[in-house]
Amino acid sequence: MLIGALVAGVLFGLYFTLVGLGLNLVFGVMRIVNLAHGDFLMLGGIAAWWLFTVSGLHPLASAALVIAALILIGLPLYYLVVPRLLRARDSEMLSLILFFGLSQMIEAVTSIGLGTTERSLPARILGVGPVILFGTRLPKAWLYSAAASAIAVLFVYLYLYRTRIGTLTRAVMVSRDEALATGIDIHWVSAVAFGVSLALAGVAGVFAPFMLGSITPNIGVGLNITAFAIIVVGTLGNPLGTVLGGIVYGVSLMLMQTYLSSWANLLPNLLLIAVLLIRPEGLLGRKVRRA
Amino acid sequence: MNRNALTFGMAILTVLAATAARAQTAPAEIKIGALYASSGPFASISMPVFDAFKLWIDDANAQGGVEVKPFGKKIPIKLISYDDQSSTATAATLYNQLITQDHVDLLVADSGSVLTSVGVPIAKEHKQFLFDVSGTGAPFFTPDNPYIALMADPVSTIWPHYISDFLDDVGVQAGFKTVAILYSTNDFTGTQANALKGSFEKDGKLKLVYFEGVPTTTSNYTVLINNIAALNPDAVLEMGYVGNDIAFLRNLQDSGNQFRFVFSIYAGTEMEEIEKNVGVSAMTNIFSYVPASNYEYKPDVGMDLKQFRAAWDKKYPAGAGVAFGANAIYGYMTGLVIERTLATTKSLKQEDIHDAVFALSGKLKTLDGAFTLREDGAQIGEVTPLGQLQPDGKDKLKLVAVYPPELANGKAVLGK
Repeated sequence: MLIGALVAGVLFGLYFTLVGLGLNLVFGVMRIVNLAHGDFLMLGGIAAWWLFTVSGLHPLASAALVIAALILIGLPLYYLVVPRLLRARDSEMLSLILFFGLSQMIEAVTSIGLGTTERSLPARILGVGPVILFGTRLPKAWLYSAAASAIAVLFVYLYLYRTRIGTLTRAVMVSRDEALATGIDIHWVSAVAFGVSLALAGVAGVFAPFMLGSITPNIGVGLNITAFAIIVVGTLGNPLGTVLGGIVYGVSLMLMQTYLSSWANLLPNLLLIAVLLIRPEGLLGRKVRRA
Repeated sequence: MNRNALTFGMAILTVLAATAARAQTAPAEIKIGALYASSGPFASISMPVFDAFKLWIDDANAQGGVEVKPFGKKIPIKLISYDDQSSTATAATLYNQLITQDHVDLLVADSGSVLTSVGVPIAKEHKQFLFDVSGTGAPFFTPDNPYIALMADPVSTIWPHYISDFLDDVGVQAGFKTVAILYSTNDFTGTQANALKGSFEKDGKLKLVYFEGVPTTTSNYTVLINNIAALNPDAVLEMGYVGNDIAFLRNLQDSGNQFRFVFSIYAGTEMEEIEKNVGVSAMTNIFSYVPASNYEYKPDVGMDLKQFRAAWDKKYPAGAGVAFGANAIYGYMTGLVIERTLATTKSLKQEDIHDAVFALSGKLKTLDGAFTLREDGAQIGEVTPLGQLQPDGKDKLKLVAVYPPELANGKAVLGK
């Protein structure tokens, strides 16, 4: 049971890396917390469900469309909301309130428009039957989700460390004021990062029906709490630290389910408290956080 | 002669005066307060109840309202409803608001045990009778609380009665030796799981090898299923809400683990919703309760199942976002019980409402079966036969009642 929990935890954690990755990117670049992150994830899942229901589109193809759509939504949304927010004295705190409001709006509009019932995609789309890893039976969809997460992490790495806009993004992450002083168009750089973060949430949403059973308009809030715990554990502001945070979360959850199942929903809060008490800068620490 | 005429005239005047007095005191509307959850984990069981309840109200108001005995006339219903968003904290505030601010005549709880649980003590404290739609948690019903009655579904301790009987009887005959129970930790499923545990331990015919609770928010069961499979039980009983059952059944199929007997509450209770999300193959041969939506009880009040389904489909066409299932019936039949209560109560005082509701016990047959209340308000008349989802042509399933024998309309198929 222990090995099974560890193997499942790593794969499940890799999916949650994808869930938290975009949230950490936004915090790293803009120092704001997007509490509507989980709702964009939900929208990605709803889009995949709708595309499959209407046209039979495979979720992997839907993922490409969701990425494009959410980047396009993210750019104007950034210019509409974030620059004004950043001019405020306490932008981090205000971002909590503003994005919480946005989260509620997205959930309400989706509920009104589509109803509250559960929605899912047939599991067989991503392959029938289990995969056996180290003697542990796991759904094939977990491998696809973990692979999607690995690709997303690689993409974020290449984006940050192998492209010009990535270099500029890291400059903004180090110091927004200094980046501005050197002539970097901080708003364009941030808008791209914001769009990428929403796209990452959307991709996680496409895989949500396979990992979470189903999607409903209200799943965003709970996922936000989990994602926030993951990025704090992995180091706030360091997108790649999210990998560590995700795996710690996944393994801990599966161990809790195995040995202390009734208390498993306390896990995100326990992890948050433990990290904030023992290592407030996150597992990877400040040096890495500053890119 | 003159004296007789005088007596007759006075009698007429008395009757007229009494009628006038009644007309003066009759309210313009009967205020019914209700909560619903349009979002959150309980939306999928709350909205069908609420929509069906509204269907009953619209139907009644279209006919001029409901007959209210104390006033001797039909009075329209005014529904005052609030969205608790599946939050018990919000629900508690709103139950208070309905009683103390809106001064509703009748109070109807939200669907399910979780959102009813906070309403029970509030209603009791304010001496307001609570029409408990489907909050079946056993702790709600105590001898010292006359302000509650369960409308639909039997109290949770009764629900799993036929599961344990079936396994002890048919299961043991088929060579079953061990059982695993996985349940969500809330009043509804926790009560059932504990009742089953007690039953298996008392009977001693089957060994309970796994008994674990998980939070109701659990959305992934893969590791839990693997852990259960490692113990190789003959029967696996999963007790959760709709979201739990969807995740469990999907994960069970994805994991490739197989058990001889698998039970899930909502596979049958909300069959449409589960099938939509899980698919036919993952539900085939799963055992579940047979709800009123799949078993044609002959009601002596209101519409029969076909008529109600037609009325539902007309008011809420496919794609409206709320699935038809047992909860829709619970909402409708709560309306019918209220209708009969108002037609027989002495007054709108809560004590008289209580008496009128309890007077219906044993005398009412609804879409959900016989309406029978225990002295503490628990529903004991409506039964939950054990059913199995068996293939019915290509890519279709039918829910067959398999136990008890007197209610069965098919035979159980056990895995090998």
